Amino acid sequence: MASGIKDRVAVLSMGCSRFGERWNVGQEELMVEAYSEALDRAGIDPKQIEAAWYSSHYDDIGAGKAGTPMAQALRLPDIGVTRVENFCAGGTEAFRGAVYAVASGAADIALAMGVEKLKDTGFAGLPSASRGTFAPMYLPTHTNPGNFAQLAQSYAARHQIARPDLKRAMAHTSVKSHANAVDHPNAHLRKALTMDQVLNAPMVADPLGLFDCCPVSDGAACAIVTTPDIARALGRVPMVTIKAIQLVTSNGWEAQQSGWDGSYFHTARIAAKRAYHEAGISDPRTAIGLAELHDCFSITELVALEDLGLCDEGQAWRHMLDGWFDRDGRIPCQVDGGLKCFGHPVGASGLRMLYECWLQLAGQAGGRQLATPHFALAHNLGGGPAQNVCSVALLGTV
Amino acid sequence: MTYISTIGTYLPRLRLSRSGMAAALGWLGGSAAGGKGARSLAFWDEDSITMGVEAARDCLSHPDVDPSAIRQLVFASTTPVFHEPQHASFLHAALRLQDDCLTQDSGGTVRCGLLALHQALEQAAPALVVAADMPVTLAASAAEARSGDGAAAVLVGTGQPLLNYLGGVSIAAPLIDRYQAVGYAEGVEWEERWLREEGYMRLMPQAIAAALHRCGLPADAIDCVVMPCPIAGCAPAVLKASGLHKARLASTLALETGDTGSGHALLMLAHALDGMKAGDTILLAQLGQGATVLIMQVQEAIAAHKTNLPAQLENGIAEDNYLKLVMFRGQLAWDRGLRGRTSVNEALSTSYRYHETLLGFVGGRCRETGQVQFPPSRLAASGTGYYLDTLDAYPLADIGGKVATFTADRLAFSRHPPNCYGLVDFNGGGRLMMDFTDPDAASLESDDPVRFVFRIKDLDERTGFRRYFWKAVAARTAPVSPSH
Repeated sequence: MASGIKDRVAVLSMGCSRFGERWNVGQEELMVEAYSEALDRAGIDPKQIEAAWYSSHYDDIGAGKAGTPMAQALRLPDIGVTRVENFCAGGTEAFRGAVYAVASGAADIALAMGVEKLKDTGFAGLPSASRGTFAPMYLPTHTNPGNFAQLAQSYAARHQIARPDLKRAMAHTSVKSHANAVDHPNAHLRKALTMDQVLNAPMVADPLGLFDCCPVSDGAACAIVTTPDIARALGRVPMVTIKAIQLVTSNGWEAQQSGWDGSYFHTARIAAKRAYHEAGISDPRTAIGLAELHDCFSITELVALEDLGLCDEGQAWRHMLDGWFDRDGRIPCQVDGGLKCFGHPVGASGLRMLYECWLQLAGQAGGRQLATPHFALAHNLGGGPAQNVCSVALLGTV
Repeated sequence: MTYISTIGTYLPRLRLSRSGMAAALGWLGGSAAGGKGARSLAFWDEDSITMGVEAARDCLSHPDVDPSAIRQLVFASTTPVFHEPQHASFLHAALRLQDDCLTQDSGGTVRCGLLALHQALEQAAPALVVAADMPVTLAASAAEARSGDGAAAVLVGTGQPLLNYLGGVSIAAPLIDRYQAVGYAEGVEWEERWLREEGYMRLMPQAIAAALHRCGLPADAIDCVVMPCPIAGCAPAVLKASGLHKARLASTLALETGDTGSGHALLMLAHALDGMKAGDTILLAQLGQGATVLIMQVQEAIAAHKTNLPAQLENGIAEDNYLKLVMFRGQLAWDRGLRGRTSVNEALSTSYRYHETLLGFVGGRCRETGQVQFPPSRLAASGTGYYLDTLDAYPLADIGGKVATFTADRLAFSRHPPNCYGLVDFNGGGRLMMDFTDPDAASLESDDPVRFVFRIKDLDERTGFRRYFWKAVAARTAPVSPSH
């Protein structure tokens, strides 16, 4: 097996725009907002950036195809920009490209940017993603609430969780994230919610109510990565390095064969196992200091906790209600509000998660700063339970 | 002697009550004000083609039937979906009939179903005749309340004889009691009294007399008359005028379904067969710019004959909301929201490339692992194994399955929210994320058995383009036994 990328690449700097309904800015301004923050923190000249990866999902309502929108928005110094698209997991994918470039020795300093301008769509929720010509001829017209509602039902059935318990656990998941985002100046939703508000919200796709669903947001986030030597030379202490990035993409087994019961993410379990192995983590429950999970829906967070081994199978709902994943719990999750409240600009979300992980590990999270996290996990998911792209990235201090 | 071996029928689930129609339209008075019973109403994803496919499937589900024997397929409808392409070609593909099968559309008169049957009975080639109508009529018209949506199919010249053809006539006359000009959405009907006197009371007895003469039968040889007739009290008068004193009149199903147009004579025939015995003689007649009269004799196979029509009649879902009729038929512009404003990528070359997969619902079964999958692919979907070109064609339409996961989605656009879909595990392996359809789709739950029906998949109102695929419905409704 390959030796992996553990500690071969360091995060030099990151930036993140304000997320939300940014009616008065487009992709270009969002990217500049994130990029200028990252450059300010990095202490480098833009000309030192040697390669860039750019994640954006919706080219029709966004900036279009290819790497040119990013190269032009940021006036990059005549370097290659690769556009990546991997559903909602594109942000981590861009990060992976930049990290691999540095790890391979092809670049000393590389940039990863994710951006999405969703509020030019004209309606709430994500627009349908293109599926080529063949798949729409037989697959249903679906939405993500519909896809993840099936996850919730299957999860409850598999573990025989009574509906009120499931609803309360999902509600707590959202209430916790809302509480975390209240004081974050860049979060999309900064309003605390009560359990009753969540439980009594209108149904979107049973059992998912309105507050079980994350918003869709405008936003951008970026990372500048480099070699540990350069990071050290630029005074990065503590230095935050990449411990692992693992990505698994569904090959059709879940969607076409009956072996999968719909209650978990096949991809996430494999990606997590490989990531822990790459990072040398044997007990993630004690090692992981914070987790940014892809909480597109409350149920996704609950199921991900189990798939990532952060609690026992069938127990996440119980531990969620016990407060294990609150800010002051055993493994704080979504301390910045997560997709649920910080927001979900599709192509940027993976980098937003990594941004919070980096801030926390570097001790720069201000009022949100957790005690002494050593490892942080970012779980980025694209697609639905039956067919998806799942990445698990681990950052840590050296 | 040629013969009919099986009859299949299809009725959409919704039954729109005429009292519901009157509640919406009665203030206009006249024909909109009353009426008893209900009319069958096609769901938003049904049309003449889909109903025709389902009636044909019902017809071919009989265990003695070998669909590969069929050499001719005629689709008859006065409510075609397209000027072009040919409707029969969709049915041919959905039914997975042999390539060397003549396909043909017939229309122009509500009698087109019987005309096609007459033609089939006068020749030797095994033929499948399918008739389906979904009339679009003017709001508040008598025709709107009187009509229903439905389809019927008969198999001729192959299988066990059920009804032997004794003879028949088709006479032509330019008696145009209704018309729908090209480019006009709705048809127009002329005065009922005129149709009664000149049509039913003059043309029809002529045709009946000619048919009896051709068969060499006296009038009292007829035991049952199957004749759609929308005019109250008219049918008994026709029998009297024709000297058919012994014959009983088959029910017009006016209260149960309404007049389903081109397929209605066949639908009524299927219904009437329930009370028949070997040796009975049936006269099948329909008016429409002339008249067709066919005379048939019931054979011994009637004893074992079973039709799904009683179940289809029973499984109706009562509906009182008249607006569903006009909205499903696109007669009322309504706000679909921006999410519903999508165009359909026709990709006709893609749909042809995979037409067996899409229209025939043919998956694949791996010779190495035995695993079933949809759609088929060169490399089998078996997790991480490598199996190249190991799939055999595996038809799924009649296999059925059960619900693995399910959702009733209120965000996705639907013409009848919520949009219901989920993973269906095929009986015998393999699965597919499928649309669930029919008005009661939201009542499906995990582990519920489902069967598959041919429906409109996408509809582009801006171009009129539509395409078809298979959807899941609860298996407990009107079972179709596996055929071939």
